[in-house]
Amino acid sequence: MSALHPKNAAQKERLLRAEHWLCMERARYYTEAHRETEGQHPSLRAAKALARVLEKMTVRIEPDELLVGNRSTKLIAPPIAPERGDFTFVFEHLFDELRAFGYRIEPHDERVLFDELIPYWRGKTVRDAKIAALESHQLSSKLDLSPGEVRRKLRSFGVRKLVRLVDEDTPETLRARAVRAGRLALELPRLVRAVRAGAGDNLKGRGRCTDTQAHIVLGHKNVLRLGFSGIREQARTRMEHARDDGERAFLESVEIVCDAMRAFSERFAALARTEASAVADPERRAELEGIADACSRVPWLPPRTFAEAVQSMWFTQNAAIISYGAGSGITPGRVDQLLFPYFEADLASGALTRAHALRLLEELIVKLNNNVVIWPNLGGAKLNHLGSDVENITLGGVDAHGNDATNELTHLFIEALANTNLATTASFRVSQKSPREFVRQVVAIHRRSNSPAFLNDETAIAALVRDGYALEDARQYCLVGCVEPSGNGDTYGATGGSKVYFPTALDMVFNRGRTTFFGNRDGVDTGDPSQMASFDEVLAAFYRQLDSLVEWVTEATNLRDAIWAERFHNPLISSTIDGCIDNAKDMTAGGARYNFGAVGGGGLGTVVDSLAAIRKFVFEDRVVTMAELGEALATDFRGREALRQRLSSGPRFGNDLDEVDSLARELVARFCAKVRSRKTACGGHYKASLISYGLNVYEGALEPATPDGRRAGEPLSNSMSPSNGAERRGPTAALSSLARIDHTAIGYGNSVNMRLPVGLLATEKGVDSAAHLVRAYFDKGGFHLQFNTADSATLRAAQRTPDAYADLIVRVSGYSAYFTRLGRRIQDDIIGRTELA
Amino acid sequence: MSPSEDCRVFDIQRFSIHDGPGIRTTVFLEGCPLRCAWCQNPESFVSDAARAMTPAAIVAEVLRDRDFFAVSGGGMTVSGGEPLLHLAPVRALLAEAKRHGLHTCVQTSGAVPSENVAAVLGLVDVFQFDLKHMNAERHRALTGATNERILRNATLLVERGATVQFRTPLVPGVNDDEENLNALAQFFTGLGITTMELVPYHRLYLEKYASLGLRAPREDLEPPSPSERRRAAERLRRDGVLAHVDPHE
Repeated sequence: MSALHPKNAAQKERLLRAEHWLCMERARYYTEAHRETEGQHPSLRAAKALARVLEKMTVRIEPDELLVGNRSTKLIAPPIAPERGDFTFVFEHLFDELRAFGYRIEPHDERVLFDELIPYWRGKTVRDAKIAALESHQLSSKLDLSPGEVRRKLRSFGVRKLVRLVDEDTPETLRARAVRAGRLALELPRLVRAVRAGAGDNLKGRGRCTDTQAHIVLGHKNVLRLGFSGIREQARTRMEHARDDGERAFLESVEIVCDAMRAFSERFAALARTEASAVADPERRAELEGIADACSRVPWLPPRTFAEAVQSMWFTQNAAIISYGAGSGITPGRVDQLLFPYFEADLASGALTRAHALRLLEELIVKLNNNVVIWPNLGGAKLNHLGSDVENITLGGVDAHGNDATNELTHLFIEALANTNLATTASFRVSQKSPREFVRQVVAIHRRSNSPAFLNDETAIAALVRDGYALEDARQYCLVGCVEPSGNGDTYGATGGSKVYFPTALDMVFNRGRTTFFGNRDGVDTGDPSQMASFDEVLAAFYRQLDSLVEWVTEATNLRDAIWAERFHNPLISSTIDGCIDNAKDMTAGGARYNFGAVGGGGLGTVVDSLAAIRKFVFEDRVVTMAELGEALATDFRGREALRQRLSSGPRFGNDLDEVDSLARELVARFCAKVRSRKTACGGHYKASLISYGLNVYEGALEPATPDGRRAGEPLSNSMSPSNGAERRGPTAALSSLARIDHTAIGYGNSVNMRLPVGLLATEKGVDSAAHLVRAYFDKGGFHLQFNTADSATLRAAQRTPDAYADLIVRVSGYSAYFTRLGRRIQDDIIGRTELA
Repeated sequence: MSPSEDCRVFDIQRFSIHDGPGIRTTVFLEGCPLRCAWCQNPESFVSDAARAMTPAAIVAEVLRDRDFFAVSGGGMTVSGGEPLLHLAPVRALLAEAKRHGLHTCVQTSGAVPSENVAAVLGLVDVFQFDLKHMNAERHRALTGATNERILRNATLLVERGATVQFRTPLVPGVNDDEENLNALAQFFTGLGITTMELVPYHRLYLEKYASLGLRAPREDLEPPSPSERRRAAERLRRDGVLAHVDPHE
């Protein structure tokens, strides 16, 4: 094993220490061009706006860089896309919270933001149009703050839990509490407005449909093979057969962005030449001259060398994120496969050493961590940490023919991941044909760095084929966002963003269609719960409510997608995706070869445990009636602690108990089938996922008490994992429970996070055993598995002295995070995850 | 199945990775003829938690992890207490496991009649055999019984060709003296044994006594320091016995 290259160590150090900024360049230039293109085709408007940004934005070359391509004026400043409306919403309502969290902004940018950008975009964003569409289709559900409803909420949640939604600190001294109460009283009207505005796009049944789509695997394969010159050529050729103005406009927009990409890289070439002439150090001068050479070639032309290939990939990746804005889950895909031919050729010719290749990969990984999501700090959910806008890299797995494709670069990436030791989201595809040692080698990364995710090729490929992929395409799948399997540059799948919560369906059973937090009667009245005479009746009512949730969220998502298709195109990303040029159509309008939508389901463990508790304690042991249980849930178990404890002692998902696991299997199968029956605006179907994006704490904050004994506002179970603390019989029992679910039905994947016993991976036997857990779970049909290994004592110590543990990395849902930068309640949630065995 | 073949089980632990090869499920059987000063499983002889289970029911539970055994080369480990104390149930349990093709391991103190050991020979893939002290009187003082029978059974197993992994709990001031390590090395050399495991004493189990409302027999014992571990292992190595000490125990 090697050590991180000193130049990369310096870059990493600067990244970890850099301030987080809000930069308005992307927003300003995009808006400027957008104003000038009123009335034009949306593809052309987007192309001209991006061209303006790439032409005018500041370009910089950082010290020590071999790969260049920045996205804003500061080292860390996410590109802001005001047209989406999600950024402008946060700026308008929660700007102080962002500042308090540490974001900085130049005075000039602040003026531009508030005096020009927010006023211009008001009423024009995707978010604004979406909210209007939801309202006109009776799909929205506003937070009801009438006096009666406020009383109900106070009864169900209590003051403290409601306050925690907007202010997560829990001061320890009386004096500090008094100060906080005073401050909150002053700020309350503003915070209530913020919460109301934030809930302005809440769906009926408190489902979620974000403003963005994205979550996409870029067609790096096409850019590497053809260069943007070749892509432009394709567009020109296709133009000869253009059937209408729409097709012509899209193809012209592709030409515009290809030219813009060329001009953008030329700006870096020129800058590198200027810097080279000014630098005294001959070594750096040579490096800068190399950068200039590469940038005057790629990504316009296909790369000739490994170094050019990596540079081309970074340019495309960076520009795609600028084009879409941060928080969009733009995914590089199978980097070890894409780059291998260049690596192999350069090694053979002697033009490249392994050490230099490693340095480039390390630097690429450092750059893939240079992103943050701007997320309002509500309900204890902080996502704005380094690496949170996951640019997931996929490694290993089989090739298009089904043969093992693990190569030397896969191993070099493993080394680079261990050396960089950042919160990189890396997904390792494991197949029956993977080398026997492969899983073990990846498990061993835990000793030096964060935990990688394992994905099961056999299950993922079966799921993709089931959803309509050709087998050869399915075998090339990549992981998007957290763990969503998607095609390799051939799919517009918007794998994230739309979600329902299983416990809401149960809440609506107990409240005859009403959701406790929002206070509206959104759902169907499935009858008086106290009159339900059997568990089957409860279950039938639950499924009825769940079906409604899926119908609403998919209708809402189709409305949102129509807004993108009509107004906001992305010819840059589209130009790289198979199908868009052939179809002469933007990806948002259905141009890609494969089209899907996504619906996530949250809180599986919580709801399965809740249903199992109802079956046992209401209908079998008869220790509580449905009426008493409903009352206990509505009052957060106040005065009913004994009942709460009894309910918590019931059989739990994750313990290899047939009667509970079969509830989970049935629920997932029904949910996935219902989701699959829904059609997207572009003609594909919806696919289900069971992932919580690290939001299960926030999601739980809005959920009343549940029949599994969970108190109001506590986190929901995470992703597809069993509830916190539910696993009592060790990892093999938990994995056996999980494997009873048909994972091939969950088209957009599921994630399972498993805490391993303290110190397990310190021994060879422990590493072997963890690798065996992966292999056996995958043999049983499991889709995804990742381990957390820090022990709870370490995590508590990190809470006490965060500075000493600044580099402590944990997996939250599908991605890695710096533990000390997470919100206190997410930290507590991670500590609470069962320490197995 | 006759009731005399029911096993008294006080725990079944899945994902045991320190009780033999691979990922295993360890079945803890109640009852022990010894009372070691450092006994870490006091529930094996004082608790009422043990339940009677048929060998078929136990093996059915163990088989739930068969997929994990298959990839890791694991299986079922029978521990205790002293699992060979009550022959009929343990033999039935092992036979049932073998009927399902399970790899089997037995953790024994050897403090049982030789017939019991001989009777399970063909049903056990690996014995993990504890040698606590080589001096008969010291052994009696520490465990309540002398070690003649134990050494006889150890010899019997090796001579009959069983796979035996010898283990000695390393307890400073109790059995890590030159004389005892010397005797241990000689015993192994005599049997042609070249590897064994030293298991460092630890104090984590003392909590168990507290939770059972008991006083541990010896609360004064300390874990061996790294140099004590190294010294013991080196002493054995001088006589050609490779002593493995898990650095993380």
